[in-house]
Amino acid sequence: MTPLDSNLPAPDAGICNGSGPLEQVRYACSLGALTSVIAIPGAIPITHCGPGCASKQFHALSGINAYQGGEFHVPSTNIGNREVIFGGADRLDELIAATLRVMAADLFVVQSGCIPGLIGDDIESVVGKYRKRGIPIVHAETSGYRGNNFTGHEAIIRAIIDQFVGAYDGPQEPGLVNVWSVLPYQNPFWRGDLEEIQRILEGIGLTVNILFGPSCAGVAEWQAIPRAAFNLVLSPWLGLATARHLEQKYRQRFLHIPAIPIGAKLTSAFLRQVAEFADLDPGPVETFIAREEKRYYPFLRDFAAFYAGCTSQYQLPSHLVVISESAYALAITRFMVDQLGLEPRYQLVTENPPGEFRGAIRAQFRNLVEGGGAEVIFAEDGRQINRSIRQADFTGQLPIVFGSTWEGDLARHLGAPLVEIGYPATDEVVLSRSYVGYRGALALIERIYTTVVRKNTMA
Amino acid sequence: MPINLKIPEAETREQRLGTITQWEGSAAQLARDSAFSYGCAKGCVTGGPEGGRRLCEQNSPFAQASMCAETIAVTNATIIQDSVVIQHSPIGCAASQSFTCRYYRDLAAQRGWALEDPQSLCSNLTERDMVFGGIAKLEQAIREAWDRHHPRVIFVATSCASGIIGDDVDGAAQRLEAEIGVPVVTLHCEGFKSKHWSSGWDVIEHGILRRLVKTERRNRRQDLVNVIHLGGPDVFTPLLAPLGLRVNLVMGGSSLDRLAAMSEAAATVTMCFVLSYLATGLEQEYGVPELKAPLPYGLAATDAWLRDIARATGREDRVETVIASERARIAPELARLRDRLSGKKGFVAAGAAFAHGLVADLRELGVTVDSAYSFHHDPSTDSGDPRQDSLTYLVETWGDIPHFTVSPDQHFQAHAALKRSKPDFVICRHSGTMAVLAARLGIPVLPIFYSNDGLGYEGLLTIGRAILRVLPRQRFYQDVASHSQFPYQPWWRDQTNPYALSADSSVA
Repeated sequence: MTPLDSNLPAPDAGICNGSGPLEQVRYACSLGALTSVIAIPGAIPITHCGPGCASKQFHALSGINAYQGGEFHVPSTNIGNREVIFGGADRLDELIAATLRVMAADLFVVQSGCIPGLIGDDIESVVGKYRKRGIPIVHAETSGYRGNNFTGHEAIIRAIIDQFVGAYDGPQEPGLVNVWSVLPYQNPFWRGDLEEIQRILEGIGLTVNILFGPSCAGVAEWQAIPRAAFNLVLSPWLGLATARHLEQKYRQRFLHIPAIPIGAKLTSAFLRQVAEFADLDPGPVETFIAREEKRYYPFLRDFAAFYAGCTSQYQLPSHLVVISESAYALAITRFMVDQLGLEPRYQLVTENPPGEFRGAIRAQFRNLVEGGGAEVIFAEDGRQINRSIRQADFTGQLPIVFGSTWEGDLARHLGAPLVEIGYPATDEVVLSRSYVGYRGALALIERIYTTVVRKNTMA
Repeated sequence: MPINLKIPEAETREQRLGTITQWEGSAAQLARDSAFSYGCAKGCVTGGPEGGRRLCEQNSPFAQASMCAETIAVTNATIIQDSVVIQHSPIGCAASQSFTCRYYRDLAAQRGWALEDPQSLCSNLTERDMVFGGIAKLEQAIREAWDRHHPRVIFVATSCASGIIGDDVDGAAQRLEAEIGVPVVTLHCEGFKSKHWSSGWDVIEHGILRRLVKTERRNRRQDLVNVIHLGGPDVFTPLLAPLGLRVNLVMGGSSLDRLAAMSEAAATVTMCFVLSYLATGLEQEYGVPELKAPLPYGLAATDAWLRDIARATGREDRVETVIASERARIAPELARLRDRLSGKKGFVAAGAAFAHGLVADLRELGVTVDSAYSFHHDPSTDSGDPRQDSLTYLVETWGDIPHFTVSPDQHFQAHAALKRSKPDFVICRHSGTMAVLAARLGIPVLPIFYSNDGLGYEGLLTIGRAILRVLPRQRFYQDVASHSQFPYQPWWRDQTNPYALSADSSVA
């Protein structure tokens, strides 16, 4: 595999600065994880923050990010001068009472933003009062200066588990699994992806708590979390904190598979690994895999006509530049290298993963496929990312960029097609499209090569 | 009260104008009650029979996420060419970058500017900065902004967090300005400081007035008119060029040269009085007269607006010809649109003067409007001149609007107002809540992204045609509406009084 160019800073040097000034922002703040609450059918966030905080996070993550839409009528204290000076707990109390009169939900998640954190509102005493009355309500501290929407996501999950789902010492249901994978809304394809992940896991005989999105059964599914036989963390790091917590709390085992599988080869291997962990009967598992592959490979066979035949006509890409949050960066790099035979060139992970996970993420990229890997760079500052890669030498190669809207100028500079795979994706309209599993892989191939052809024919 | 440019912070709208965000009643009543704010200027006696009592604002125990002044100030700073905007904030405030970038590129394409991303940085404040202060990080961000982009101006926008921890942003800006040699303009826009986001317009206009307008007086350019607008294409030059006037289009995406030249113009007109802080400031500081004619929505208002400009610039000899030829030009198409729209009922949702303008447009097009929804209400304007009372003008020219709701884009209140009005379509200022709400209730909706769409003679055609384009989509919207509902309690789902909750809780 191609080593990193020497003109790009070594991993973690220079362009990895988790706390410096940032251009071309690639994630939201902790409060932005209100989208995770919105992603649970029947749950409503109640935000205790400034007047523009909640709508700005939602608009960024949903409105303009692949135009995902979604339910936004979020109660908010819209904190003003009075609360900043005299405290905002009373206003929050009033808002919660009014929310219960006006809105109907199975679960309310109170999220506090920067201001209550700084002025020291005692939110737990307000929320606890309602919880004691039997109202399904929890509080998650999501001050914007404390973290991003990835860490906020885990804070919300933790709050729901500890304050709503609660203690459990009953039996575990064999074959029931909790899935922790892509971050809703941040990843524009989360709805379709979770559906596909659920579909293939059910295909091999598991019962799935998918927990977010249209195919989630809602709050009842969250209440079923403790009954699961195990947790599946299907992402490089997001969800691990949750799985470890559940291991402690409910004595549940967890299986961590960092790379979300894309394409039949990787997906079938993934399913066998899960089946073995879950101790499933191999017969039905193999039957399902065979059925899926029988559907998948004729499409791939036919695609081979294009992939071979149009190689020169449409200048089919050979070198990969992937700039994304780690889950998609890893999954798509692996698919493109392993399935389509491209060379990994730049793999940039942009969501500022906590330091404790970085070594493992690096290792996951190094062991991308059998006999080869790639170096990963942790970087957040868009301007520096793009400027660094611009200087790279692609002589004799045809690069393709997987990234966000922010990569537009870079792709134009490189003369490379750009496939938007992450936040912000302002040139994609995404509904149920998925890029993972068996079916998602085919959609991804379609998207990539439609982009490539159009770049050649419409430029 | 004059605008105070000596201090870096703009006074908020509620302090200066008595702005309210929550009210329900008829437009005529709101106009009468607002008259108090003009004092003797409108010839009313406090508490007298002519009307005029201090506006009584409603309040609501329930509220939904709204918007903040920081978003407005930062967006409108970002679309100024050759600038870098620094949001001195935790990372979440900068989530707007993807939107402002999209907006800048759209404007650039329209204006023929280089198609590139605007430059925006976030100082990225974290917990440590909350404890130790964020000034060092701000200074680092300003230096980075300079080293990376060499802009002609750097804006520094504050945030709730930087405001509460008390960072001396102005001090840092002054130090760095001396170091790098280009203006570092502070924008004090902490979201919690004003209850309405439109204060963000005042913040950016305050910054422009203080720092970016050319102060040395040169020759007045007698053919140059400042047009302050919210955003969108230049629909003004076609109207003013026949009068021999040049348009200095400012706000809504400007070059620094245009902003600097404002002090040399013959006059200023404002396309929405919500933005009139800048015009009033230009008159106060540089003697550029602020024209006060009603906004050019509808035929008669556009006539009057052109005459006012002609009077101020000595072009009265030519203006009647322009008016007559424009009216004649649009007459056949206007007649066609009136015919097609006759019998339709429209619902308007927008911010204050902009909402008043859209109501006039619809009524000129023959559409019935019995309900309007304004995101805030300014009882007064900075000039204090009653000619800028766009609501009174609307009511006097076009009659009352029985249901006039003031609400800061509250989904639950808009829901009730739409249930009450049952319009054939909604026309709204591009906003997070209203467009999708209407759609989900099965009502065709026209969101106005470029707010110049409804202005002048041509604006009537632009709006009328756009409405006709969206009406057939009712099929889509009704299909969606019949398969989804909002998570309101049943009593609120059926509610038709946007302030029912307030009334209810005051009794309880």
